[in-house]
Amino acid sequence: MLSQLLAEAPRFFTYYNLVFLGQAALNTLLVSLVGCLVGYLAGFLVATARLPQVMPWSPVRGAMLLWTETFRRIPFLVLLMLVFFGFQLSGAQASLFTTAVTAVALRMSALAAENVRAGYESVNPRQWEAALTMNLAPLSALFRIVLPQAWRVILPPSTIHTVSMIKETSLVSQIGFLELTFAARMLNQRGFSALICFGTVLVLYFLISWSFAQVGHYAERRLVHGTRAGQGTLRPVGSIA
Amino acid sequence: MQLQFGQVLAYVPDFLAGACLALAIAFVAFVIGLTIGLLGASLHQFGPRPVRLAVRAYVSFFTNTPQLVQIFFLFFALPEFGVTLSPVQAVLIGMSVNAGAYLTEIQRAGFQSVRQAEIDAAVTLGFSRVQLVWHVIAPHVVKALYPALSNQYIIMTLGTSMAAIFGVEELTGRALNANAISFRSIEIFSLAALIYIGMTIVASGILFGLGRWLFRIRAGA
Repeated sequence: MLSQLLAEAPRFFTYYNLVFLGQAALNTLLVSLVGCLVGYLAGFLVATARLPQVMPWSPVRGAMLLWTETFRRIPFLVLLMLVFFGFQLSGAQASLFTTAVTAVALRMSALAAENVRAGYESVNPRQWEAALTMNLAPLSALFRIVLPQAWRVILPPSTIHTVSMIKETSLVSQIGFLELTFAARMLNQRGFSALICFGTVLVLYFLISWSFAQVGHYAERRLVHGTRAGQGTLRPVGSIA
Repeated sequence: MQLQFGQVLAYVPDFLAGACLALAIAFVAFVIGLTIGLLGASLHQFGPRPVRLAVRAYVSFFTNTPQLVQIFFLFFALPEFGVTLSPVQAVLIGMSVNAGAYLTEIQRAGFQSVRQAEIDAAVTLGFSRVQLVWHVIAPHVVKALYPALSNQYIIMTLGTSMAAIFGVEELTGRALNANAISFRSIEIFSLAALIYIGMTIVASGILFGLGRWLFRIRAGA
């Protein structure tokens, strides 16, 4: 096993293959980060529109609940196919990148909405009542009173979600978008052994997601030290059970 | 272009059979993963330092790489060494080992939440390590971590969809086949999505009820 690897390595790690893998890694990062950013903004809006203090119309709140529950409970692969064929049906000339980012963003919006909701719920309802009694507008109560207390609960799981989305984007290879998994399959089909192709890509994925997790741990320790952010450790936030 | 669901409704029984296969795969992988996790957490708790490091390396590697690529590796790289796995075997092994890493991590947290007095009491009563884990720690872990464990089960039910990529004919696999035959893509994948949503809602409901009945705790939304 090792001798085979050593024999193949000089043929595999050429300049062009490394550039190819680097581009693929960049694509993986780009899709997951852009998708997560858009998804997080959408999820924030969805969670906020579920607050009775902010959104007085219950049909809208119900629609937001439906949105979250739907996109949380569809496997990413099926969601990807729906987005892919949905763009085709609508006649929009969407690039593979747009398709992939849309799918990531839809999924992330549901995860983020649950996450933000958990943050909102961690704030004592009296805080809302007091703020509204002081005649603050609902949105300014949200931004000045509730969010400053809620973000400590919101922040730590968001890095976990981002890392898990980086891993989920491996499924985007199924629609032919050139990211790490697709690159590994292409190199494998060009005649390199599956061991070296998928092994290299596994290591690359590990480096990316491990370093993101470290940044998350650091931010968590640094920003949320000694607050109640730790209380959610036994129950994963964004759980669907 | 118009959506036509009439033609697709004929696929419903076929899809439901696929859903059963998906549930079976998720269940088997979950049980194996739970066993690996219990073993991993016990080794991490009681093992010597090298073993502990090995468990940590296992968890950190498998939780930081995509499940899909892990299964690709099993499916394509092992035959180069004479081990050929069928698609179902590759998916089951991949999912179990992957879930084992997550479940080790979850149960490790549970191990640390067992009160020292309970462990001391068991040791005083002459329990061996295995008895201690099985009779004292495991029941506690299952109860304390019920929400996290049931969440993992739901995630795994959704995760079975990637078996389709390897040609396993579970729900997504059947949807892909039906799509290739009828080209009613949106209708077919919406139907599959609906079945997944129904499946996970029913599973959530059952797990919630089970948790209430077994432990009198709330298992989440």
